[in-house]
Amino acid sequence: MKLYVKATSSYRSDLEEISIKESLKKQYKVDVRRKDDFIHAGLLGALRLRDKCEIQRDDALYLTSGFGNINILAKMNEYILEQGEYIKLFDFINMLGNTTSFYVASELGIKAKSIFQISDNFTYFHTLITIYASLQREKKEVVLGSLDIASLDNEIIKRVAGIEENQEVLSSVNYQKLSLDAENALASIEFDTNFYTLEQVEEVLLENRKRVYCSVRCEAFGCEKESFYFETEASYIINRAIERGESLLYIDFYDNRYKILRVESM
Amino acid sequence: MANILNANFLSSLGDTTTTLDAIKNSQTNISKKSLLAIDGRVDTPYALFRDEVEDSQEGIYSALKSIVEKSISQLSQEERAQTAIIVGTSVIDWNVIDAVESTLYEYKRTPYYSKKTSIDSYAKELTKEFDLNGFSMTINTACTSSVNAILEASNLVDSGLYKYVVVVGLEIFSEMMSTGFYAMQLLSESTIKPFDEARDGMVLGEALAALLIGSESSEWEIKGGFSNCNGVNITAVSEEGDEFKEVMLQALTNANTNVDEITALKAHATGTHSNDLSEMNALSNIFSSDLVFTTLKPYVGHTIGACGALEVAIFMSCIDDGFIPKSLNHQESIKREYQPLLEHKTCSEGTFMFNYFGFGGNNTSLILKKEHA
Repeated sequence: MKLYVKATSSYRSDLEEISIKESLKKQYKVDVRRKDDFIHAGLLGALRLRDKCEIQRDDALYLTSGFGNINILAKMNEYILEQGEYIKLFDFINMLGNTTSFYVASELGIKAKSIFQISDNFTYFHTLITIYASLQREKKEVVLGSLDIASLDNEIIKRVAGIEENQEVLSSVNYQKLSLDAENALASIEFDTNFYTLEQVEEVLLENRKRVYCSVRCEAFGCEKESFYFETEASYIINRAIERGESLLYIDFYDNRYKILRVESM
Repeated sequence: MANILNANFLSSLGDTTTTLDAIKNSQTNISKKSLLAIDGRVDTPYALFRDEVEDSQEGIYSALKSIVEKSISQLSQEERAQTAIIVGTSVIDWNVIDAVESTLYEYKRTPYYSKKTSIDSYAKELTKEFDLNGFSMTINTACTSSVNAILEASNLVDSGLYKYVVVVGLEIFSEMMSTGFYAMQLLSESTIKPFDEARDGMVLGEALAALLIGSESSEWEIKGGFSNCNGVNITAVSEEGDEFKEVMLQALTNANTNVDEITALKAHATGTHSNDLSEMNALSNIFSSDLVFTTLKPYVGHTIGACGALEVAIFMSCIDDGFIPKSLNHQESIKREYQPLLEHKTCSEGTFMFNYFGFGGNNTSLILKKEHA
């Protein structure tokens, strides 16, 4: 399976000292009221993507996340279950996964399919698979947003992420405009439905001539990896490779199984 | 071509057999749940599971496992390895809540441990339990969650990427969700009265449903559908229902189906003031007043993330049993010429439209066809 990347946008919290909320207000004139940090971050990434490409009314939108909106969940838990206080209406609305996709779709002018989905593991890979299957039928283009926000209490995120307590976690938002059509593409992403064993990955690596990146979870192979963690890291690595004009092979790992994708910058 | 190979469920009326019996006899099972209101706690009607599901994390998972097991019982080990799973829900996994509480509150604090969890935990556990392929996904688009899962599943099957996909609809009582709906003044004081002048809101419900989707021949074919994200704001569409109309028309186009081929329509029909009005206006803009349309929420409540899979499964069971179920609690229609079905109607095959119009601008119409082999 191959998808072509028409445009990308990225935000990583340790690389940009900005207030997302202020950027939305000043640069994009977005009404930031009644929306929380997770939604703000989703909007920033989407609007940065819109700066780089045309987005059509009938483009589909897929948002995925490794953590989901943990902050609003923690806030609601404290209000309602712990303090016994009455719910705040917009906290309730913001807790629903598709609230973020609604605001993103609205800002981008998308009136087509809009899906908020999470896979417990390999969430970025699995979303690529559903997008590929969807494009086979609909022949449109897709905006894919991958959001992981770690701002309120990183310990909660570490506890749900299956990682060590001393692992650094970051916020990052990465968008891609994807298509089956290669024309004017910046890069291609090649992937499959397979789960690989360690031995199978070693075989792939023997024949591979591209630069290799691994996710933080991946301890074998001794290849390059980042020190930070967020669940949708693959989307960031891809965007960075495209920006640098690189091609690479990316390996992710969970529960003794590996997933592989290849990025070919054009 | 993707087909629905089987459907199993648990609703507030019990399993497939008892739910079907209850529907035939116009029975409901509305309990009460206490919710936090602005001036204390209030009892609200709720379509809760009866004794079939123990009200605990383990009890819910055990019931879910049993439903999914029934759906995939015909699959060999090899076929299970080619089976993906997609859950549609608005439920937040209790492990996530545990992580929140054991971090935030000193008196609940536990030594640091990390267990990978997410809203997709149920799908992950079911995958392990039944040696499924490993592709799991949870869609969280409010009322359209599990119907969107059906459409995504049919894409995965049609494109040949997976031989089978199990679609699960899951909704259980959540204080946070229910309180939110109460605060929005969307909950009825008694029953759901779809499309009725006297409607006063919805009754939430619990449900577990599983559909097995594959390309093998089946009497139930997924002809197509359409999903969009279009609302005038986060909670509503226009009163005219133009957004719903667009979804239904595009679903008909995608399913290569004409308006007059629709045998009957299962409306979303939450019993809330604005959603019912918009849906009625959209229906009457597309269909003549001869349209046979019905509603299922008065029987089992509004099961939010599960209603896509549950209402398809219930409707399929009714048609397989030879009838279209009537709508309940209806006296005076909000549009006089358009009355939901008031008596069960004999029917064992046809082309059926299913509407799901929810929060967050997510609207989906699905078209299924049943043809006797």
